[in-house]
Amino acid sequence: MAVVGATTVFLGLVALSFVISQIHKILELWENRGKKKARPEKPLEDKGPAFTEKRLPTASELCSIYRPLVEQLKEPFQLIHLFEKTKEMNLPHPHLSIKCLQEADVLVAQGDGTFIWDKQKAN
Amino acid sequence: MVDLFFQFLSNTGYFLADYRHVIMVIVGCVFLYLGTAKKYEPLLLVPIGFGILVGNVPFFKGFGIGIYESNSVLHYLYFGVTTGVYPSIVFLGLGAMTDFSSLLANPKLMLLGAAAQMGIYFTLLGALFFGFLPKEAASIAIIGGADGPTSIFLTAKLAPHLIGPIAIAAYSYMALIPVIQPPIMRLLTSRKERLIRMPPGRDVSKKELIIFPVVGVLLCCYLAPTALPLLGMLFLGNFLKECGVVNRLAGTAQSAIIDTATIFLGFTVGASTQGDVFLTPKALGIFCLGAVAFSIATASGVIFGKIMNLFLKEKINPLLGAAGVSAVPGSAREVHVMGLKEDPTNFLLMHGMACNSSGVIGSAICAGILWSFFI
Repeated sequence: MAVVGATTVFLGLVALSFVISQIHKILELWENRGKKKARPEKPLEDKGPAFTEKRLPTASELCSIYRPLVEQLKEPFQLIHLFEKTKEMNLPHPHLSIKCLQEADVLVAQGDGTFIWDKQKAN
Repeated sequence: MVDLFFQFLSNTGYFLADYRHVIMVIVGCVFLYLGTAKKYEPLLLVPIGFGILVGNVPFFKGFGIGIYESNSVLHYLYFGVTTGVYPSIVFLGLGAMTDFSSLLANPKLMLLGAAAQMGIYFTLLGALFFGFLPKEAASIAIIGGADGPTSIFLTAKLAPHLIGPIAIAAYSYMALIPVIQPPIMRLLTSRKERLIRMPPGRDVSKKELIIFPVVGVLLCCYLAPTALPLLGMLFLGNFLKECGVVNRLAGTAQSAIIDTATIFLGFTVGASTQGDVFLTPKALGIFCLGAVAFSIATASGVIFGKIMNLFLKEKINPLLGAAGVSAVPGSAREVHVMGLKEDPTNFLLMHGMACNSSGVIGSAICAGILWSFFI
């Protein structure tokens, strides 16, 4: 009884450790599969300015990226909520991007810690 | 009037008490002292200690006062112990509090959690050798998992008459980790081994953390379906925490729910240790075997860590094996402290927590397996 029990629990945990050691590899494969498929359809040179970690988009590009996020927020909103949205969307450089939008007067401070989206400037 | 006065006196606890009650009151005070002054597992020892005091106030039987009398309030509260409800709820909270990222970053540490469960099976053989019935032996052996709720759960299923001594033994040894484990760790490891540094774990993605409880519950519970009440709740709690869309539920599970269950679990287990029921030669045997189980579990983990180093290119610190028992986070903390004593820049806590969390899973599987042997 003791031998069977000990062997079973050991094998069970060995199996679990093996499976969990493979999860990230499977996820990586899954994510890379998507990338490989996308590449032949749209070569890099055909793409417009990419929102990559190396290059921060211009204010007008940022407006087009951030507009749908702001539309989900009720104005006036706090920047923390916009940060949360960027986190959900996995957008890189949210702090720099939001600072850029502020400097371009697209995000306008209301003086009480809240902001609104200036639609005219954004266009 | 004098007769009435003497009759009243004869009904008081002072008149009805015998030496067993006094012993248990002292034990309760020791628990309270260890919990409050020494801060050894206060969340457990304080409710248990106070429960021991309450459980050892003598009274006339038949008035529906005591925990073993049907229709008493304490009896209803104790229902959560005897049915295994409280341990399941505790596991829900535990899951919602546990971060498995260090385990996912270094899955081979799970083997140390498995190795530490060997104490359970060695003790099973020992208890059978000393004449305990198989169901009693299995309940005593699970003390080696150093997991109070699991011990209570299994004992409630297999040997309900032993819940008191087994729960007290399990929680006592969990609280005495700083006393029991360090000498064993020191004895079984060289200074060179204790100085081994663990490499920092890789970053674990959110998706992995979300997938883990799903994989865990399916893999473990298909293997030992009897562990479902514990592991199902553990992984549910962890999924609530990791999925990120039910933060309110996760927050409640890791605070109000687990705290409520812990209070009632500790208090009623303490109250179940009435001197006349608790102080028996069997209880003494359970305490001795429990200490053996816990020590063997610690030693098994450490020795297995050393064995793993024979095959691994990147050595692991064998002290981590001691954290394979599921006393969260006491044993991981003890491993960390011992590592720091040898090298103040060697931080083993997160790696210890990985072993700890695998120990929780391992001991719950063990409980499921032992229960299934007697179905």
